[in-house]
Amino acid sequence: MIASAFCLGFLSLAVLMSPTAPAEQTMASADFVLAKALPQDLAGWQKSRDDQVYNRDDIFDYLDGAGELYLAFDFRFVFVREYTKPDAPSIVVEIYQMSSSADAYGIFTQDTDGQEIRFGQDALYGAGLLRFWKDNVFVRIMADRETPEAKEAVMKLGGTIDSAIPEAGPKPEILGKLPVEGLEPPTVRFFHTVISLNSHYFMSNVNILNLSPDTQVVMARYEKNGARGILILVEYPSEDKAYSAGGRFIEMYLLQRFLPERKFPPVELENKKYAGAVRAGRCLAIAVEADDKATAEDLLKRASANL
Amino acid sequence: MRKKKAVKIVTRRDFIKGAAMGTLGLALYGRERELIAGVGAEPGSAPFAAQNPQSVVVLIRGEKAVGAEDKIDAAAVQDMIDAAVREFAGEADTARAWAKFVKPDDTVGVKFTHCGWMRVHTEQPVIDAIVKRVGEAGVAAGRIIAQDEGLPVAKCTALINVPTVKVHTLTGIAVSLKNYINFSPKPASYHAPSTDLGEIYLKPEVKGKTRLIIVDVLRPYFGPGPQINPLHRWNYGGIMVGTDPVAIDTTCLKLCQVKRRLFKGEDWPISPPADNITAADKTFNLGTSDPAKIKLVKLGWGKDVLI
Repeated sequence: MIASAFCLGFLSLAVLMSPTAPAEQTMASADFVLAKALPQDLAGWQKSRDDQVYNRDDIFDYLDGAGELYLAFDFRFVFVREYTKPDAPSIVVEIYQMSSSADAYGIFTQDTDGQEIRFGQDALYGAGLLRFWKDNVFVRIMADRETPEAKEAVMKLGGTIDSAIPEAGPKPEILGKLPVEGLEPPTVRFFHTVISLNSHYFMSNVNILNLSPDTQVVMARYEKNGARGILILVEYPSEDKAYSAGGRFIEMYLLQRFLPERKFPPVELENKKYAGAVRAGRCLAIAVEADDKATAEDLLKRASANL
Repeated sequence: MRKKKAVKIVTRRDFIKGAAMGTLGLALYGRERELIAGVGAEPGSAPFAAQNPQSVVVLIRGEKAVGAEDKIDAAAVQDMIDAAVREFAGEADTARAWAKFVKPDDTVGVKFTHCGWMRVHTEQPVIDAIVKRVGEAGVAAGRIIAQDEGLPVAKCTALINVPTVKVHTLTGIAVSLKNYINFSPKPASYHAPSTDLGEIYLKPEVKGKTRLIIVDVLRPYFGPGPQINPLHRWNYGGIMVGTDPVAIDTTCLKLCQVKRRLFKGEDWPISPPADNITAADKTFNLGTSDPAKIKLVKLGWGKDVLI
């Protein structure tokens, strides 16, 4: 079923108050502030059909087979417009309205392949696809096929949307807890749930870390002195939950008996890589795939200092 | 409605050890075993079931199958499908080859992939080529149903599974097992974990009907998603033919894994691992995921074949 552009009843009050969200619960998508900014035609490309809006209830009608990945974030709705031009690739504009700038950033970090360019707060372009985030909005603009004219049109549409979003938004606070030295910036991922974790780093078919929409997770790869490792930082809603998750990781993944107050140095796994964990208050730091024990210890030590 | 099954806990460590998912565990670390390559298949005598002790998979590639602006050469595709089906059937004549798989009194469902948002569709020339040959095998036009969503599978006496190849953030990879997901009324229930995907093949209205699998490997997708990034798609110019969905998916998994490593210049494991493939082998007995039991027959263009 195609989502009706005339019913946005799913929107929460918080989103309705957002400068980039619709101002009423029942309205045409044309009233969506960012949609208003978009041209009807651009260098011969014409809006080809009615705009569409999909929310949390019907996202699968649009992203059949991958809606879960947006639902894993606080996604509110996506606005979709298609432009066509005779003998030219079509261009699809998708504007994802998230509830927070942290989650707009999070969705953006799910795929970081592309050339960095200047749009919004971070942007990537490659082979006809422009992606950027700004405030609580994530934008994808894709030409079916890259041509010089299509690329120019994609960039103009991106610029139009960028200009229509009045302010930047903060990145997730937990990013500030990542140690700086040795960080490989393109590998930084922000998310909440186990579906996202496993799409980047499969840990288990069960939710060992008790991740949920309430957890803030940042993951990144480090290289220092030629040795690599991955650091996963999780912030839980409470200290109890962080404590419980730490115990589960030690018992279910490190296969050691968890005892309160006992320290657990990183252990060597079957692939000769090291893994370990340390908790501080509501936060859990996990090092995995470390080339050696010293690297795992160093990552955990430096992470602990920031928690 | 599916019954809720007890979940066996599987961690990354089980994959490393290879204990949980056999060769897929090795694939996670980029050390997958070589498939047996050969020219001149000795086709199984019972092509309607997974073949033992070896499953034959025929891969044919055409340099001109995908042309400028990604246009598909329909004539080249027809020739490739014909040659691959002849090779698989062990027949020198195209009509005799197809007669091994469909009978004039069959009602044939040609189950292709149409993925509007991701755009990794089964190319129309592939569908057309198959429909043409099924018709020439004596099946009346009214009893050839080429469809994706809503294919009346119960009405069909024979199915030809015509998927594309794409890495998928929830199932690891989407090829012939995943292509039947919408034969279930609850397709999303087979995502994350996707272990039970193979059971769809055993649904009463599906079981035993798959006569042939013809995979569109013309422009596979090796990226992570959740949505397409054109940088992660390449023109491979291939068609793959077989009857064993597990062997075919195993072969495509390897192809994508190799391509990912080439793209990144380092191991880039498919995540989550495609545990549905080994489960389809070990739990549902649909075929083999053991590379030692897969005979890959390569025809045609050999440049950058990767497997």
